[in-house]
Amino acid sequence: MGSRQVIEKSLTLLRSLPRVSLNNIRDNPGSKRTQKRGRAQHGGDKHGCGNKGSGQRQNFMRIGYETGTNPFYLRVPQEHYYKGHHYRRQYPPLSLRILQEMIDTDRVDVTAPIDIASIVKTGLYNFFPDQKHFGINLTDEGADTFEAKINIEVQWASELVIAAIEKKGGVISTAYYDPHSLFLLKNPKIFFESGQAIPRRMIPPQDAIEYYTSAENRGYLADPDQISQARIKLAQKYGYQLPIIENDSDYNILSERKDPRQIFYGLEPGWVINLKDECILKPKDEELLRFYSL
Amino acid sequence: MVTLLINAIKRLQVSTLLPIRTYVSVNPQSIPLDNSLVVTKKEWKFPPAYTKPREVWIENLDTLEEKKLGLFELHPSVYATTPRIDIIHRNVVWQRKYRWVSWAHTKTRAEVRGGGKKPWPQKGLGRARHGSIRSPLFRGGGVAHGPRSGKTHFFMLPFHLRIQGLTSTLSTKLAQDDLHIVKDLELPSDEPDFLLDLIESRNWGPSVLIVDDSDLAPRNITAAADAIAHVNIMPVYGLNVYSMLKHDTLILTLSAAAKIEERILQHLHSITTDKEASFKLNQV
Repeated sequence: MGSRQVIEKSLTLLRSLPRVSLNNIRDNPGSKRTQKRGRAQHGGDKHGCGNKGSGQRQNFMRIGYETGTNPFYLRVPQEHYYKGHHYRRQYPPLSLRILQEMIDTDRVDVTAPIDIASIVKTGLYNFFPDQKHFGINLTDEGADTFEAKINIEVQWASELVIAAIEKKGGVISTAYYDPHSLFLLKNPKIFFESGQAIPRRMIPPQDAIEYYTSAENRGYLADPDQISQARIKLAQKYGYQLPIIENDSDYNILSERKDPRQIFYGLEPGWVINLKDECILKPKDEELLRFYSL
Repeated sequence: MVTLLINAIKRLQVSTLLPIRTYVSVNPQSIPLDNSLVVTKKEWKFPPAYTKPREVWIENLDTLEEKKLGLFELHPSVYATTPRIDIIHRNVVWQRKYRWVSWAHTKTRAEVRGGGKKPWPQKGLGRARHGSIRSPLFRGGGVAHGPRSGKTHFFMLPFHLRIQGLTSTLSTKLAQDDLHIVKDLELPSDEPDFLLDLIESRNWGPSVLIVDDSDLAPRNITAAADAIAHVNIMPVYGLNVYSMLKHDTLILTLSAAAKIEERILQHLHSITTDKEASFKLNQV
């Protein structure tokens, strides 16, 4: 019997029963279990906690402590594979398969450039800038079945991912955002409600500059001519015909990029978004204009 | 032998399909004979996938005798889903609890007056050792682990249980003929007696909850319902499981029914991760 028949049957059954009201409803039997402290033969005596000591008093030793002997974690030599891991930049992964799924289920609009803000808005990807998360690492799972033609901006991408997107006539770029900009991109509404001016995006730190200026990684600070060369080179390496995006009907979408100082598409640093009156306030003061143009 | 059995089973013609029926009782006299019935076919944003829409009569309030003004479609995901009595119950418990602050209060041994002095020496009297006459063992002493006032019982029911509570209750009401759709809330007079007679003649109630889309109901029905304690009017945004169960009959206006449907369908078909997140006190 399918669920539809179950619903029909239960609704038909309800017709012959008294009116459902506050005094004749109850929860499922056995759904609530009250916490009981057993007495005597029903788990009494020590109540399962053994005799004396930390088992009864719950004052357990700290983890790793071996009652005075040189503990294991000090006895073995240390190897610093993960030294400083909590200072390193993290890029929570997003696979091409899930990206394709977002596009197929209309959660991402492919008629506009995709950035981390639109990915977060789908509800299927989340990241935490305060936990050293610096954005999306687009991974190659589902690269063979990726079909969409998109203009996407991520924070980290491998060669295969770049190839998978460019093969379908799409465009990918990797861009750096400082944690403050990422907070804004993650939840723009909270920031706009605070009434502050949109800040400038910071330039990458010293150890990230190499990545974001390299054409192989499609860095946002790389020379556009070198990027064109790298696109052709990658197409030759992976053996596909590179679609010419200049002749594409979606050329305007595919060629849209953010300014290196810009955080949101269509909004410039220094602007104030007034959600209440639904208007944008732009700076006019010379000093402000000079500050935000840098 | 086997073939005989198979043939016998075939002849039984057991059908698992139940006849689909509309769940509103019909008084044949109330249906107009001419073709003045309005049959509304609805275009939903999320049309029902495997079930047919429920059809209900549109009724009137302006005369004592019932008139059927037309047929109206209700979405089965909202008005004909599984009537989960346990979820309805959990909603009722939640609604009772989230606003309940318990003010029961007892004094501990420290708060009861007196008891500072040791009542008798520790040794030498042959009596039990005691340090205070306000110990919980003493008559008039403090209470150990007694209720302390200002205890809140607030908690949040998970989002989809709240949604399912509403759909289950609406489905139950419709299945039991306790949900009626009316065209509007216009009454010919503001007399409470008229409304009482109307409820009597329609076999509603006695207690009736009227739900309208707008904050302001027409004057006549407001004045009439104001004088009757068991007839209440509520806007759509106030609709809740407890009130629906507290009243015997639920009366929805056309626009209210459509609005409830639209809001619930929206929640059933959207990403609700932010609504499912655990409740924070400063989230509103």
